[in-house]
Amino acid sequence: MASPAALRELQRELETKADDLNKIQKDISKNHQVRKKYTIQLGENELVLKELDLLSEDANVYKLIGPVLVKQDLAEANANVRKRIEYMSAELKRLDTTLQDLEDKQNSKRDAVLKVQQRIQSLQAGKAKA
Amino acid sequence: MEEAAKKGRVTPLASLFPVEEAQKAVRRVHETLSEKESELDRFRGFISDNTNLINLVQKLPEGLHHNIMVPFGKAAFFPGRLIHTNEFLVLLGEGYHVERTSKQTVEILKRRGKALQSQVESLKATMQDLKAEASFFGITASEAAEGLVEIREDYVEENFTERESQSGPPKEHPPSFSEADKVKVAVEDEEYSCMVSRLDELEKAEYEAGYGNETHEDIENVAVSDEEYARMMSRLDEIEKEPETECGNERDEDEKIKADFDQSSDQISLDKINRFSEEYQSRKLLEQTKDKKSATEETLDKRDTQKDLTDRLNCTGLTVQSRPKEEMSHGKGLVHGIMKSTPLEKALVLPEVKENVQAASSLRSEAPLQDSKPGFDSRKAFTGSIIERAHNMQTSSSQQAATSSQSTVTQPSKPVSRFKMQRR
Repeated sequence: MASPAALRELQRELETKADDLNKIQKDISKNHQVRKKYTIQLGENELVLKELDLLSEDANVYKLIGPVLVKQDLAEANANVRKRIEYMSAELKRLDTTLQDLEDKQNSKRDAVLKVQQRIQSLQAGKAKA
Repeated sequence: MEEAAKKGRVTPLASLFPVEEAQKAVRRVHETLSEKESELDRFRGFISDNTNLINLVQKLPEGLHHNIMVPFGKAAFFPGRLIHTNEFLVLLGEGYHVERTSKQTVEILKRRGKALQSQVESLKATMQDLKAEASFFGITASEAAEGLVEIREDYVEENFTERESQSGPPKEHPPSFSEADKVKVAVEDEEYSCMVSRLDELEKAEYEAGYGNETHEDIENVAVSDEEYARMMSRLDEIEKEPETECGNERDEDEKIKADFDQSSDQISLDKINRFSEEYQSRKLLEQTKDKKSATEETLDKRDTQKDLTDRLNCTGLTVQSRPKEEMSHGKGLVHGIMKSTPLEKALVLPEVKENVQAASSLRSEAPLQDSKPGFDSRKAFTGSIIERAHNMQTSSSQQAATSSQSTVTQPSKPVSRFKMQRR
């Protein structure tokens, strides 16, 4: 009969939509994690910048690169830290927009899934009546 | 106004906050709370480490070198010396180290400690909020489980005329007490008019029960009114004691009495009637005194309501006291008593009361009623009604206007006799 076939089709549709929704949700959670990491790093860099500003000109600054402590110029260190901060804020902003998009997509997918579910229900109700 | 305008809505709390959901919320909040607590512990550990480090860094430069056991690899040490005791390589973050002296290091560490502290504070604040949330959820859950019900009623403010027409005390008072003071004032005015009308009825009953009988036998005929009068008497007594302190605190007392009113509104209507009757009686006393003072008092009254209250209190007290002395010369006795009490310029309040009462004619009938009410003194239940009166007077001062002078005519006789009976 046509109705069981339609019913099966609808169910398959529901499954695909549900999978999409799951994927989107995973993306959103990953986005959250990366955002958290970046936020923490940004905070730390800001602290470093504050301390570096407090240093006098002749202080020795060393950077730990792997197992090596390399002497660095104070001005250079300052510049590096500032650049890092800028880069991280830009990254965060980008992540924010991505997150927004993902959320919108998630909502639309959810609506689609609900619609398919409703159709299935109505079909089943119709079949029960008949 | 419509009496039936009050709409009541009964909603079981369980419908607003399902029990299971409330409990789930409680659990969730508890979990977050425990998480925050563990974070708090971590922070506390950091802070203690920081303090220890500060102490160590301050101690090291005390010697040029220190003999220490140097760690060598994972499981070995060898004796060595710590030199350059004032040079520290401080990790600022992000792999950056900086050479600092002991003092500078301590400064860096102190700044770090402050940052940690601020984080701890914010975390504590969050935990407080969470705790409040948890307690709220818990209470709601328990209430919903018990089947508590929320009842809402619209407050319908009735005007004076409507009040007067009603003989019973206003039932709308209980829900209205959550309103602002203005409403309270309106309520009190309404209550007062209710009281007044009730007093009128009682007086009529007294009158019919028997004129001039000052024994307790008459009480039987007017048991209810006796009760009310007794309450009024006790109120008067209380008020008598208060006058000295009231002048300055009249305002507060008005508020308090309003609060009292609010609380007592929940009681039976009879209580209200009693209070009203007490107020009414005391007012009548004042009115009597006012008669003697005539117009000047009216003007004074409008200005100085506080004094009014004091005066009224004095008046009522004195009139009550003079009762036992004087016999049946209702009007005169009371008048004398009142006259002695104070320079009752403030008795202007009386006209106001009269206005509120709007029962000039009933006053006449009240006088004989008073005579026949000997049993009031048995219960002294005055609770500062006069103060309320003062307030009502104040609020109703606008109403008094021209009619004040008219109502004072018939009063003298009634209050006197009433109080006389009460005092006995």
